[in-house]
Amino acid sequence: MRLFRTWKLGLKSLLLHPMRSALTVLGIFIGVASVIWLLAIGEGISREAQKQIEDLGAENIIVRSVKPPDTSSGNFSDIVDFGVTRAEAEMIRLTVPTLKGVVPIRELPQSFIYNGNKNAKPVDGRLVGCTPEYMEITRLVVDRGHFLTHRELDGKLSVCVISAVLANRLFPSEDPIGKQMYLPEKQEYFSIVGVLKERSATAAIGGSLAAQDFSLDVYIPITTMYQRMGDREVKRTGGSFSINSFQLSQITLQVAEVDDVPRTAKLIEATLRANSNGKERQDIAVVVPFELLEQARTTRLMFMMFMGLIAAISLIVGGIGIMNIMLATVTERTREIGIRRALGGKRSDITWQFLVETISLSVVGGLTGVLGGLLCPWAVSLARWSVAEFAPSFYQNLPEVAKIMSPQIVPESIPIAFFISVIVGVVFGIYPAIRAAKMDPIEALRHE
Amino acid sequence: MNQAPDSSVTKPTKLAAQIKDLTKHYVLKSETVRALRGISFDVPEGDYVAIMGPSGSGKSTLLNLLGCLDRPTAGNYVLGTDDVAQMTDDQLSEVRASRIGFVFQSYNLIAQLSVVENIEVPLYYMGQLNAKSRERSTQLATMVGLGERLGHRPPQLSGGQQQRVAIARSLVNDPYFILADEATGNLDSVTTEEILALFQRLNDEGRTIIMVTHEDEVSAHAKRVIWLRDGEIQSDEPVTERKVFTAEQIDAISKNAEVRH
Ligand SMILES: Nc1ncnc2c1ncn2[C@@H]1O[C@H](COP(=O)(O)OP(=O)(O)OP(=O)(O)O)[C@@H](O)[C@H]1O
Ligand SMILES: [Mg+2]
Repeated sequence: MRLFRTWKLGLKSLLLHPMRSALTVLGIFIGVASVIWLLAIGEGISREAQKQIEDLGAENIIVRSVKPPDTSSGNFSDIVDFGVTRAEAEMIRLTVPTLKGVVPIRELPQSFIYNGNKNAKPVDGRLVGCTPEYMEITRLVVDRGHFLTHRELDGKLSVCVISAVLANRLFPSEDPIGKQMYLPEKQEYFSIVGVLKERSATAAIGGSLAAQDFSLDVYIPITTMYQRMGDREVKRTGGSFSINSFQLSQITLQVAEVDDVPRTAKLIEATLRANSNGKERQDIAVVVPFELLEQARTTRLMFMMFMGLIAAISLIVGGIGIMNIMLATVTERTREIGIRRALGGKRSDITWQFLVETISLSVVGGLTGVLGGLLCPWAVSLARWSVAEFAPSFYQNLPEVAKIMSPQIVPESIPIAFFISVIVGVVFGIYPAIRAAKMDPIEALRHE
Repeated sequence: MNQAPDSSVTKPTKLAAQIKDLTKHYVLKSETVRALRGISFDVPEGDYVAIMGPSGSGKSTLLNLLGCLDRPTAGNYVLGTDDVAQMTDDQLSEVRASRIGFVFQSYNLIAQLSVVENIEVPLYYMGQLNAKSRERSTQLATMVGLGERLGHRPPQLSGGQQQRVAIARSLVNDPYFILADEATGNLDSVTTEEILALFQRLNDEGRTIIMVTHEDEVSAHAKRVIWLRDGEIQSDEPVTERKVFTAEQIDAISKNAEVRH
């Protein structure tokens, strides 16, 4: 009853200065909301990163061919020879016992056109030479038809499987299965045996693995690719030619037991790098998603701590705001404190009277802050939408995560943020309240 | 209203307060101000004392001690049966809440509270706020002529009205005595008369009143005048030619007060 009275009184005096109280609440509101927001965004980003790494497969080891920095003088006859080879892929397959699968991959930028509509503008995409295991390792899903088979691989058949987006572009109104696909640059024909379901892109991992956008892919047997196109690619840059020669773009190795991944990765990297007589090889990169995943987990923790720190700072700033206001209030109400003491108010009564006010402020700030925090996912998608709508070029330049990340409210952050706000109220309110209570009643009565 | 106090007037032996060798020194950096230098007197129940003296003679200091707002440097102050000089801060607060009624020169009402709520404040600190206490506060407000203005806030009232609220507030805890420090100092002569009539009525009902004043006009209404000089009692004498309001006058003044405000 008494507490209720005190509380009512506190609210009454707060409402006497609605603007001032609202601004004080705003400080706490921002603090609490930012705790929830920052943690939610941090969690969203790290989940996205983890998902992308997991998409690469925690049990996989990826060996990429890397074109060494250009040393040629742009001479016509220069041939740049680099990357992992078919022989190495075979050697790994035969000698490393912990592996379950070895998928050699060769990727080429390429333009495609439907044979039945050769006048149409070619669609730029990516030609991927691979084996049937590629589908499983890359988690592709067939929509219609089938993925490449061993029969097609061994027979070096001119067949291909195309991605959903490409299928829609090239065959807006027809069923692509059984149709012929024409590659104008290579002057080759492939008949379509399968169409895939759509698959989200993976982001770039580290410096060595570029972002993989599967949306415009065409998959053909790697044997067919070698037979028809060889290893050389002529590249026209400006007026000059350069010739790249590489056997494979990538070998994806699937390790049977996830626990064996780090060991196997070390072995393979050491073997491959040592291959060229004594000198460290610079034309390959070994990417280990498992290790990246581990890294991502620690990064996440640090990120969360960092975000938490920022949020804590904003809460402290809010708390200082409360303290500032309460100190002013106490001075302003010195006379009232004197009257209350003269009429029998104990020191503790005065302390409580002011503490109740700060706690009310911080609780209101905390509650509204939690509500504001819960709006985070909604607000982020609204912000993303409006940027995409009103500043499309800016949106294009945003990092991939910013485009696809969805904030994940960390459930614990809500009670934590709320209780911290109350504690902030108490901690920053106690000093002004005690100061009020310590006043000498006679002095306070004389104050004007 | 509450227990009929008329009987106490006929028993002057019962003391509301006993003051013995009361001393108060203010220790400042450069000097010690000896505001009270050993003051002794008794206040029987039902007394009506005016404390007078030149500025700086220690009147307010004495009244603050009597009101338990401060502790003496030395000496005894027995309130009823308890020695106040030995009490803790919290105990002093309890005494102020339950046994003392204050009336200040500048009214000292709480601006954000209504008339009744202001009257109730001491009860709030006694932990006795309930439906009955609200009834009592309303009665007191009516008694001081503000029954129609229960919900008003102090800034909406005149000085005289505010002072009457303060008097009602000083009565709400049924105190041992009412302490008034220049309660009429801010009021014009007509309003002063009203307040004095109210004091007399309370005193006639048995309330003990101790008031500090500069004005002979005011002290003439008391039963006894204590003169202070430099922190000592210069004289302590009964008022020989006491000005007394007749019952009709009290009635008339109250009525006038109603009409005027
Ligand atoms: N808190 C204090 N600290 C130091 N000195 C004080 C304090 N309060 C009062 N005094 C001194 O004590 C003496 C008595 O002061 P007090 O206020 O009791 O006088 P007073 O009789 O009430 O005067 P007035 O008629 O002007 O109100 C004065 O000399 C005053 O300066
Ligand atoms: Mg004084």
